[in-house]
Amino acid sequence: MSSRRGFLLGAPGLIGLWRKTDRTITGGFVNDSFPAGHRLRDHSAFAAPKQQLRVPLVIIGGGMAGLNAAWYLDKRGFHDFVLLEMEKQAGGNSRSGENEVSRYPWAAHYVPVPAKGESVARELFEELGVYRDGVWDERVLCFDPQERLFINGHWQEGIEPHDSATAADRAQYRRFNDKIANFRATGQFTIPMERGARTSPLDKISIADWLTQQRYDSPYLRWYVNYACRDDYGALAKDTSAWAGIQYFASREPEDKGPLTWPEGNGWVAARLIEKLRRYLRTDAVAYRVERAGTKLRVLTERTEYLADAVIWAAPTFLAHYILEGAPAADRFEYSPWLTANLTLDRMPDQRGAELAWDNVIYNSPTLGYVDARHMSLDTHIDKTVWTFYWSLAEYPPAQARQLLLSRTWSDWKDAILNDLARAHPDIHQCVAHMDIMRIGHAMARPTPGFIFSEERTRWLHPLGNVYFANSDLSGFSIFEEAQYRGVEAARAALKRIGRG
Amino acid sequence: MSIALFLSVFIIAACGLVYELIAGTLASYLLGDTVFQFSTIIGCYLFAMGIGSYLSRFLHRGLVARFVSIELMVGVVGGFSSSMLFLAFAYTQAFRFILYAVVILVGTLVGLEIPLLMRILKERFHFRELVSHVLTFDYLGALGVSLLFPILLVPRLGLVRSALVFGIFNAGVALWSTWLFREQIARTRGLRAGCLIVISLLGGATVFADRISSAADTNLYADEVIFSRDTPYQRIVLTKWKDDLRLFLNSHLQFSSRDEYRYHEALVHPGLASLPGAHTVLVMGGGDGLAVREILKYPNVQSVTLVDLDAEMTHLFSTHPVMSALNQHSLTQPRVHIINTDAFRWLDGNTDQFDFIVADFPDPTSYALGKLFTTAFYRLAAKHLSRNGVMVVQSTSPLFARRSYWCIVESVKQAGLHTYPYHVYVPSFGEWGYVIGTHDDWQPPQQLPSGLRFLSTANVKELFVFPVDMAAVPSEANHLNNQILVRYYEQEWKDVAH
Repeated sequence: MSSRRGFLLGAPGLIGLWRKTDRTITGGFVNDSFPAGHRLRDHSAFAAPKQQLRVPLVIIGGGMAGLNAAWYLDKRGFHDFVLLEMEKQAGGNSRSGENEVSRYPWAAHYVPVPAKGESVARELFEELGVYRDGVWDERVLCFDPQERLFINGHWQEGIEPHDSATAADRAQYRRFNDKIANFRATGQFTIPMERGARTSPLDKISIADWLTQQRYDSPYLRWYVNYACRDDYGALAKDTSAWAGIQYFASREPEDKGPLTWPEGNGWVAARLIEKLRRYLRTDAVAYRVERAGTKLRVLTERTEYLADAVIWAAPTFLAHYILEGAPAADRFEYSPWLTANLTLDRMPDQRGAELAWDNVIYNSPTLGYVDARHMSLDTHIDKTVWTFYWSLAEYPPAQARQLLLSRTWSDWKDAILNDLARAHPDIHQCVAHMDIMRIGHAMARPTPGFIFSEERTRWLHPLGNVYFANSDLSGFSIFEEAQYRGVEAARAALKRIGRG
Repeated sequence: MSIALFLSVFIIAACGLVYELIAGTLASYLLGDTVFQFSTIIGCYLFAMGIGSYLSRFLHRGLVARFVSIELMVGVVGGFSSSMLFLAFAYTQAFRFILYAVVILVGTLVGLEIPLLMRILKERFHFRELVSHVLTFDYLGALGVSLLFPILLVPRLGLVRSALVFGIFNAGVALWSTWLFREQIARTRGLRAGCLIVISLLGGATVFADRISSAADTNLYADEVIFSRDTPYQRIVLTKWKDDLRLFLNSHLQFSSRDEYRYHEALVHPGLASLPGAHTVLVMGGGDGLAVREILKYPNVQSVTLVDLDAEMTHLFSTHPVMSALNQHSLTQPRVHIINTDAFRWLDGNTDQFDFIVADFPDPTSYALGKLFTTAFYRLAAKHLSRNGVMVVQSTSPLFARRSYWCIVESVKQAGLHTYPYHVYVPSFGEWGYVIGTHDDWQPPQQLPSGLRFLSTANVKELFVFPVDMAAVPSEANHLNNQILVRYYEQEWKDVAH
């Protein structure tokens, strides 16, 4: 009886009628910041502080801007301040994670080699030991091969599509590069951007329209520019200011070797800063209200009320309106929502063409591809790794994209990510053991046409009374150098204000 | 009578298809990309059959004699097709050309068969019956052989012998036809003699098929494979031909037992013999134990640390009777300590000092291996090198990959070491290069251990002299963030191959 039953159940399997099964993949959403963010937005009730402390300076926001402001203050001998971070882990977009296979980034994963003029950035990296006697530590300069692109059924080295580019495409690449070199020579495209930026009509149109005006019609070149905008700004080329699009290419020398990177991405920098600044840092500390009290400021958290002479606002600028007394709404600031996933692979998937690189991009995919966390390993043989998969939901208006981000389940996103990767790695489903997904509602500022030279942006460059704004979104886009510059500049100004500068 | 006729249709149909299957399978084996190979081969073959059918109209007289000789031609060309293709792949650059030429030739001949046969038979049957029967048996033959091919022919007979056997079938049909249609043939004797010659030729070849097919089935290791294993890191294959043992890692030749002494003596002795006070030695790579064998010739050496990634490799060369005889059981000596791990990471994780360091890694064929030839690696290795120590690096061929060789020398130099490049001729490799790196000035040794087969105090200095065609060329150093060496290497060996 039982054998017949077994046979009947087994028979469909024998002729292959069972559903084709993939391995089970564990994982879930991690580091969700929606709950705290929504409480602030909705003015929900927060507990009253239990104690009051007087402290000359409070930094709100423990991302790269806030950490660098604190680093600068500490380095200049000023120690009377606290740094408030609403999450459990400081670092913001430079947070990272670790499992038994590797450390891995949650968002920002590299810093371009700071140019000679970027003295503060060089000072930081000198202190962290990766820049010594004018030489960068070769263990942290991104190893070869850095980038590859999956196109026409195989991987090619480099992201700029060249394998199937025609002579006409290549001529356009050259013309584009010459044009960019001319922009670079004007000295208006710098890092930090504030140093060189001059009001320009380029900001009035999108980079997509600019390409059309300049008769760039090569689909490969246009894909590449669009990819750059999605990657650095979380926006499509048609939603990105032409000035910002050009800034991406023209602000750096092309021959720079680099960038600086680590298995955990910029989490390496964040972890070292957090270690140095531990005594100032308060995590799980939501500053839910900042009020004026005479010439002073009252910063309210659920544990402590701080009475401060000055505040450095290093959190995203749009949040100020919900928390800071008298702050206007920052309506023209647009933020792209992002999805990042860390995939633990317990075997390496099949592939065709160029070797696994650091940054791996799939042509014409809506996603941004993945970064291999073990690329910076010294090992010659790697059979397990972690891939950080990036997806800026650039096709949708940000509000709609945020809704999408929240409405889909982990399993939906997991399948979407694996299906995207399966184009380049058909057996990816069999290689992934675990996948954690992080949703960031307001991940990075979008430099939409007109924003860079808008009054709205420049207004926030000035302090509001004794509150100094420091988030990288003031530059119109979120990159490490802008965050560091803004943080350090705010720290300088605040020090002056409280008579210590 | 009619059954016999249609049976021969069945056989020639089977023969026709089998050559096509063999060509497709062989091309997939040797070139990869199965879809492409099968598509193009089937396409060419069917097209060539069309050519054959068209050409059949130009044959007017003596159809049976023509049919018999076409069968014999198919038998010869098809029967020897896979032998020919294997040899073409092993010995010529023209494999693809020969492949498609064979496919088109066989296809054209096969395309002639059925139209001719139908014209020969048209007097004996009604046209309606004839077409129906011939095509039925034609397709049945195709079915039969397409089932037989994967189940029986490839696994049991192999590609070479399958082709020969079906060549004999073709010739058999030819011979049989001289009886079936004897009243339509003028000179049967000559044709029968031809058939017998072809059959004996193909039959004789099947006796030698093993030699060719073993070369084939072991994916073109020219000699007998006595050991092969896929480890997590590489494919280890050991071949033997008479007294010549050869080791292949991922199909790259590592050594031939006939001349490996030249390679290993040159790797070890110029450096180690110059250090009479050397106590500690580090060997990275070299899991075959042959460098260690040379090192153990120095009684002053107290400890040899061998770091090789692949535990199966060192286990094999410690225990396998043939291989441990070759390295004179060096890996099981008490002075030798084996560590199975990634060399770069191992160096990074300890502060041990060594008097003599050997970096004997596989050539930089990938970015992963290229890391072991970077300034960062040599700088790290230099930290482990004692004050008066010597490091030696296997550095690929200064003749075939001249820029690569001098790139490695430059990388050692930029790691802050004095460099002393040298080279040796190893028949199975060609000219091979090494570079010695030291903290201070260095001189080649005045004395060598006794019992060496190649090196002598007279010729050791000559190794450091480079003829004009291998002399230094300007080259950048190889860095972790710019592995120029991997690109040089790929380009240079590609140029050698073409």
